Amino acid sequence: MDKGMGDRGATTMMDRRQLLRSAAWMSGAIATGVGSWLIRPKWASAAGPIKVGIATDLTGAIGYAGNANANVAKMVVKDINNAGGILGRPLELFIEDTASNESIAVANVRKLIQRDKVDVVLGGITSSMRNAIKDVIVTRGKTLYIYPQLYEGRECTPYIFCTGPTPAQQCDEFIPWLMKNGGKRFALPSANYVWPHVLNEYARKIIEKGGGEVIFEEYYPLDQVEYSATVNKIMSNNVDVVFNTVIPPGVGPFFKQLSEAGFGKRGGRLACVYYDENTLNINAPYEIEGLASCLDYFRAMTKDDPVSAKIQAEYDKEFPGKILFAAGSAATGMYRGLKLWEVAVKEAGKLDRNAVAAALDHAKIADGPGGPAEIVPGKRHCKMKMYTAVAKNGNYEIVARSEGLVDPKEC
Amino acid sequence: MADDSAASPAPRAVASDARRGVPIIPILELALLAICAVLPFVLQDYLIVFATRVLILALLGLSFDLVWGYAGILSFGQALFFGTAGYVVALLARDLGITSIYIVLPASLLVGLVVSLALGGFLLLGRHPPTTIFVALGTLTGSYAADRLARGWYYLGGQNGIPSIPLMTAGGYEFVEGPAYYYLAFATLLLVYLLCRFLVRSQFGLALAGMREQEARVAFFGYKVQRLKAIVFSLAGAIAGLAGGLYTFHEGFVWPNMLGVVLSTQIVLYALFGGVGTLIGAVIGVIAIETVSFWLADNYQQVWPIILGLLLLLVILFRPGGLIGLLVSERERVGRFGRPPGTPSRATKGSGHGAP
Amino acid sequence: MESALNAIFEVLSFGAIIVLVVLGLGIIASMMGIFNFAHGEFVLLGAYITYLVYHLGLPVWAGMLAAPIGVAACGFVLERLVIRRFYAAPIVAMLGTYAMGLAIREGVRVLIGGLYISIPEPIVGSLVIGGVHLAKWRLAIIVITILVMVGSYLLLTRTSFGLRVRAALENPALARASGISTSAMYAVTFTFGAALAGLAGALVVPVFSLFADLGIRFLIQGFLAVMLGGIGTFEGPVAGGAVIGVMSAALPWAVAPVLADVLVFVIAIAFVKFRPGDLIAGRRV
Repeated sequence: MDKGMGDRGATTMMDRRQLLRSAAWMSGAIATGVGSWLIRPKWASAAGPIKVGIATDLTGAIGYAGNANANVAKMVVKDINNAGGILGRPLELFIEDTASNESIAVANVRKLIQRDKVDVVLGGITSSMRNAIKDVIVTRGKTLYIYPQLYEGRECTPYIFCTGPTPAQQCDEFIPWLMKNGGKRFALPSANYVWPHVLNEYARKIIEKGGGEVIFEEYYPLDQVEYSATVNKIMSNNVDVVFNTVIPPGVGPFFKQLSEAGFGKRGGRLACVYYDENTLNINAPYEIEGLASCLDYFRAMTKDDPVSAKIQAEYDKEFPGKILFAAGSAATGMYRGLKLWEVAVKEAGKLDRNAVAAALDHAKIADGPGGPAEIVPGKRHCKMKMYTAVAKNGNYEIVARSEGLVDPKEC
Repeated sequence: MADDSAASPAPRAVASDARRGVPIIPILELALLAICAVLPFVLQDYLIVFATRVLILALLGLSFDLVWGYAGILSFGQALFFGTAGYVVALLARDLGITSIYIVLPASLLVGLVVSLALGGFLLLGRHPPTTIFVALGTLTGSYAADRLARGWYYLGGQNGIPSIPLMTAGGYEFVEGPAYYYLAFATLLLVYLLCRFLVRSQFGLALAGMREQEARVAFFGYKVQRLKAIVFSLAGAIAGLAGGLYTFHEGFVWPNMLGVVLSTQIVLYALFGGVGTLIGAVIGVIAIETVSFWLADNYQQVWPIILGLLLLLVILFRPGGLIGLLVSERERVGRFGRPPGTPSRATKGSGHGAP
Repeated sequence: MESALNAIFEVLSFGAIIVLVVLGLGIIASMMGIFNFAHGEFVLLGAYITYLVYHLGLPVWAGMLAAPIGVAACGFVLERLVIRRFYAAPIVAMLGTYAMGLAIREGVRVLIGGLYISIPEPIVGSLVIGGVHLAKWRLAIIVITILVMVGSYLLLTRTSFGLRVRAALENPALARASGISTSAMYAVTFTFGAALAGLAGALVVPVFSLFADLGIRFLIQGFLAVMLGGIGTFEGPVAGGAVIGVMSAALPWAVAPVLADVLVFVIAIAFVKFRPGDLIAGRRV
């Protein structure tokens, strides 16, 4: 049944994969219950389990990423439990669906905090989700919150730790690469919410510093599917690089319309910093040929990084199917976040929020997807290695790597 | 023989109507009142928070019942007033730092009133009296357009809405979610409910009831039907706005869905399910559906909306009176204005609550 | 010049889709006085059936053929079960269709797991004429819509069946008095309207991708179009649909996209409220 992770070229396979995905999801759901999931550890300890809460989008437009998140959490918690837990106690996992809907999310996250009384919450994918639930967790709930997804930065609230890439990490080396391998005329079509707005601000700075030019910067409602006006502007203004921040569901039609208009054929470069292996399947390979992305991990790395290969292999074995372990879907940030938190709790020796936060402030891991990672003390953001990759025939090929760990430059 | 004193707000039994028994509605109202009053003492904290939310939504449901159940306006846009008031108070809190309950709640009431006055005036008044469907569509469009606007306007937070709204204050006291906020919502609901109850049993309410049953006839009597409708619409809009203000500070954020079609139609659903035209029916409907969906959330969250749709369909087909219709006789539900059907004519002794 | 041509093409293709949706809605509204709140969900169903057929392994166009038939069947069932009880109480019937629409929408949401699914178009690629890129599938949508319009028009004006339908459209009471079985007429028109919506959904799903809230937008635009065009005629809803569709597609070229969305609705409602006569002669709604 599993078509293999490498087989991504043929779009006619998409239908069976969709079926697989929904079937797997359904059967999983029936087995453990839809909505909130509780995964108990197999062994117990006298002091009781440590409770980990995951709040992520299992359904809705961001479902493809949320499910990857949840899977990673399950995998890592299982590994930690098999290795003896933390402080001699096993981990108990509570998963709530934020459903790509902020109102539902808040209600469900309240359950995690007030009913389940978890010791830490990891999750939220879009910035709007993070903003909606962070109050419930950190202020009203007085719990630690680890946010695993790439985002726009500027989240400096105490007790919130971010383990995903920031604009500095995604743009500082990527945009110069784009200008060398694309051109100097940039267009910034964007979804209308906080992440694109702030990211574009940073990107514009780097673009203009490098001598490039921003031809236009536009914002569209999230569910807009008609992009003819935008495509026309791109084509008639001879834009070289489309630095895209339109997200699903609009991104599929947008890329399709852009490719139909001949953007790729005339040498234009498409760039999208959240586009990972999961989203690669939204469009046919010929529509996104040459698309460039800059993330903290790509599957192609498994060829030369044994740690990444091991993590990827373990994930693939446990979760065969359409939900992939990919960096744009917060999966790598989730892995990193959980491992860093594990280190912090071990150092703190207890679960008190202040103690763990203090330990987490300088936590480091040597074995993470894409390389080691460390939290920058006082900044609550994470240094990691960054890679630039280009989509060729439906798969990513890495074309540039960062020298070492890149600074997030936040707070 | 039976004396229905016109001044009493509670219906009394009339001997000649065989179906008349003990009036159910006041019993329901009192029972609900009692239960809601003691709920915080029996529930855990996060359930109290949930219950508070339900009470605030019940306020919204009440506003819909007022327009549809009593004025015959099918408003698919109550969320418009709810959300707009919510956004305004959120902006007040974010930009001006105003969180005092003495300003915020009246502000949300005012916003709801103004917006509904504007929309209602536009839709209802004018040379040609509008059809029900035009008003329904107009309110639906208003709600949808506001949703799209809020989604696109970055100052309002765009898709994200406005998060991290500070707590509502009264002097130095902060209204944290929990029993304090619960009783605030409960008190507001109670107050508004009593107000509405008084209204619908007054002269004004009588005109409304007539309008609902036979609009043309009432117009011929000289009542300015469209103006009456506009008044009720504005009142309901004010109530919806008030609910919006309470909701915003309770949840701590506003976002475009609070304005949109989904919430608007959800409220229609709740009220229809509970039974329109009785005020308490809308409240019961909101409580019933929210509670069941919360309870099912852990297991059948996905399937529940389908079941809800089908249930509503069954209700419409067989029991248009809603849940209330199961408990309460049709006569009592419609309202006791006039003689019960089938009684011998008593020329002078009028029953009911005031003759026109 | 090129961008103007591109613009016109895009506007036409979008307008065509709206017209298809609205025709069904308009016919139902004209005939029965019932505004079908489940119409958007019929569009969704059409999209969903296309997807279902497709991932059973059959080609996409097979799904597109199956969709109108499938949705027509659903429409027929809905009409017989729910709507026929409420011919005399159109408001209740509307609420009934609303409930049905809710059930359908949430049902589809469960079936697709709440995700967004993309479906390839049957005809891939674009024609290049001069400097203008015309997506082949969009062209196909326009062509199919025109064919369907013409076909429907011919059916209505050249057949005796069409004559009876038009009679019932213009004056239901008189038609009934003349011996035309309005009950059968209603069933047929509702089914036909549903089929049109299903076809629209099938045609549009490669462009928009499949997701549970696909129908809501079409419903509102459909309603506005019917109000704009008036009911009681064939041309009315079509004209209304064309206007709404063209406005929706054309405005984003002129103003910011967020404003364009809102403007369409505001303009339409204002026009309906204040219009001196009807867009096309017909009954006012």
